[in-house]
Amino acid sequence: MTGIARNRSHWLMPCAVVGALFWAAPRLSLAADDPREWLQKMNQALATRNYDGTFFHLSEGRVETMRIVHRVRAGRVTERLQSLDGSGREFVRNNDELTCYLPDQRTVLVQPRPEHGPFLGSLPQFGADVNEFYRIEALPATHILGRPARVIAVNPKDQFRFGYRLWLDEKSAMPLKTQLCDSHGQVIEQIFFARLDMPESIPDSDLAPVVHTDGMRWVRQGPSHDSAPAAVSGYRASELPPGFHLTVEGAQTIGEASVPASHLVYSDGLATVSVFVEAPPDAAPGTDASVAPAEPPMQGLARVGSGYAFSTVVQGHQVTAVGEVPAQTVEFIAHSVKLSGGAGLPRR
Amino acid sequence: MSEQIREQVSAFLDGELPNSETELLLKRLTRDEELRESFARYALIGEAVRGASISLRTKGFAGRVNVAIDGGTVPADTHPLKARAPHWWRPFAGAAVAAGVAAVAVVALQQRAVSPALRPVTAQNAVLAQGAVAVPTPVENLSYTVPPTTAAVPAVMPPARLTKYMFAHSRYSSALDQRGLVADMLIEADEQQPAVGEAAAHTSP
Repeated sequence: MTGIARNRSHWLMPCAVVGALFWAAPRLSLAADDPREWLQKMNQALATRNYDGTFFHLSEGRVETMRIVHRVRAGRVTERLQSLDGSGREFVRNNDELTCYLPDQRTVLVQPRPEHGPFLGSLPQFGADVNEFYRIEALPATHILGRPARVIAVNPKDQFRFGYRLWLDEKSAMPLKTQLCDSHGQVIEQIFFARLDMPESIPDSDLAPVVHTDGMRWVRQGPSHDSAPAAVSGYRASELPPGFHLTVEGAQTIGEASVPASHLVYSDGLATVSVFVEAPPDAAPGTDASVAPAEPPMQGLARVGSGYAFSTVVQGHQVTAVGEVPAQTVEFIAHSVKLSGGAGLPRR
Repeated sequence: MSEQIREQVSAFLDGELPNSETELLLKRLTRDEELRESFARYALIGEAVRGASISLRTKGFAGRVNVAIDGGTVPADTHPLKARAPHWWRPFAGAAVAAGVAAVAVVALQQRAVSPALRPVTAQNAVLAQGAVAVPTPVENLSYTVPPTTAAVPAVMPPARLTKYMFAHSRYSSALDQRGLVADMLIEADEQQPAVGEAAAHTSP
């Protein structure tokens, strides 16, 4: 290569770089401002980051202060949620099981994690099917906790699901504030952090519950093994709100029930509704009333946090739909459950 | 609540409280129930001042305020950040807003008293029954009818039993919902709430 050619390459190179930057800048900017990109970044942050924070949970006119510690180490995720000013209840989950400590009820609920089940809640996917039922938009950026934050709104297009407003840390994409909203934009529940640290490492001691479990009852509930199928099967929702479809089907022991219930999970990609179908005690095989007295049938609607539960009786079976969705959604699904010959999903 | 703490709460809700003071406020909040109630009211008022609509269904004052707003007409596409008031103005605005919504609450509660809490509904009138404006759905098939089997029956669902369903459901809720769901499970139960089952006690892990 001649000296002139070498010199030309020296000045051509910066020009090429600058040209490439000009070409790429609008695309990069577009990607950086795309609310879906930010939601995916949030997913990534929630799944992979260590964090230790204190947040306020505002719901039903009450504010509770809670601490969350989340650690990802060598592929193992452990999370602890602790009420700081209320019941002293704690929730701990790891790769093997979920544990809910209820000191006010002298009870510990334990649920093993199914071998192939989802972990720490399914990360919402913001694909084309979600577009059909939610409108996702970026709102003007702001500051929260002294940090610049992106604000993303996920608005439901109908009244069968709730929406969200998310304030995402510009640097980490962690949600610093979230609001659960109904289809009119009314805020149902808010979570916002007063403190959020993202340390490189978190000691085991920060993930250990402080509840003293001496004398407490341990109630194990959860998915059943193949050898213990649900006492009922073949029940399905015959009609569903738009966009909802069956995503999980299996057997689930509820509390101290002697036989598992059928557990169906319906989702529209963001919102999920669980349906539990329980056989009447005298019809369930292997039922021993001396071990677990039958609980009376439930009927009607109840608030469960920011969501709802609706219970009814179908052909003598207790059917309960629970989810972070509006009341009419759980009611719709519970009412449509009936014995069906249709194929379901492979067992969990 | 002293003027200083009121200012701190207001500044925190505006995202303007320095980290060092946030820590102090946090400590106060964890041990002062009255302050937490005030905090919740401030948050409620703050959202109203900003133009966002709020729905906090509950017992007590905040719940009555919420019921009022819930029954009112609210713009569907409110912007949570616009019309942000400087925090020195918020106590005055808050008082005005609180008085306004409390007045509306009386009317809304009277209206609700004549409506059955639970009744047989179709999916479409279920929507309308809640005072909502019908929104076109993106999917055409809404011509179903919910069988009127049980909806007239008052809900009899022991909270402890609901906790078990929520716990089982929590594994499948999306990451967006899960934090709130678990937080709800950790909130102190009502005093009249029965324990989780009474039988088959196991006192070891």
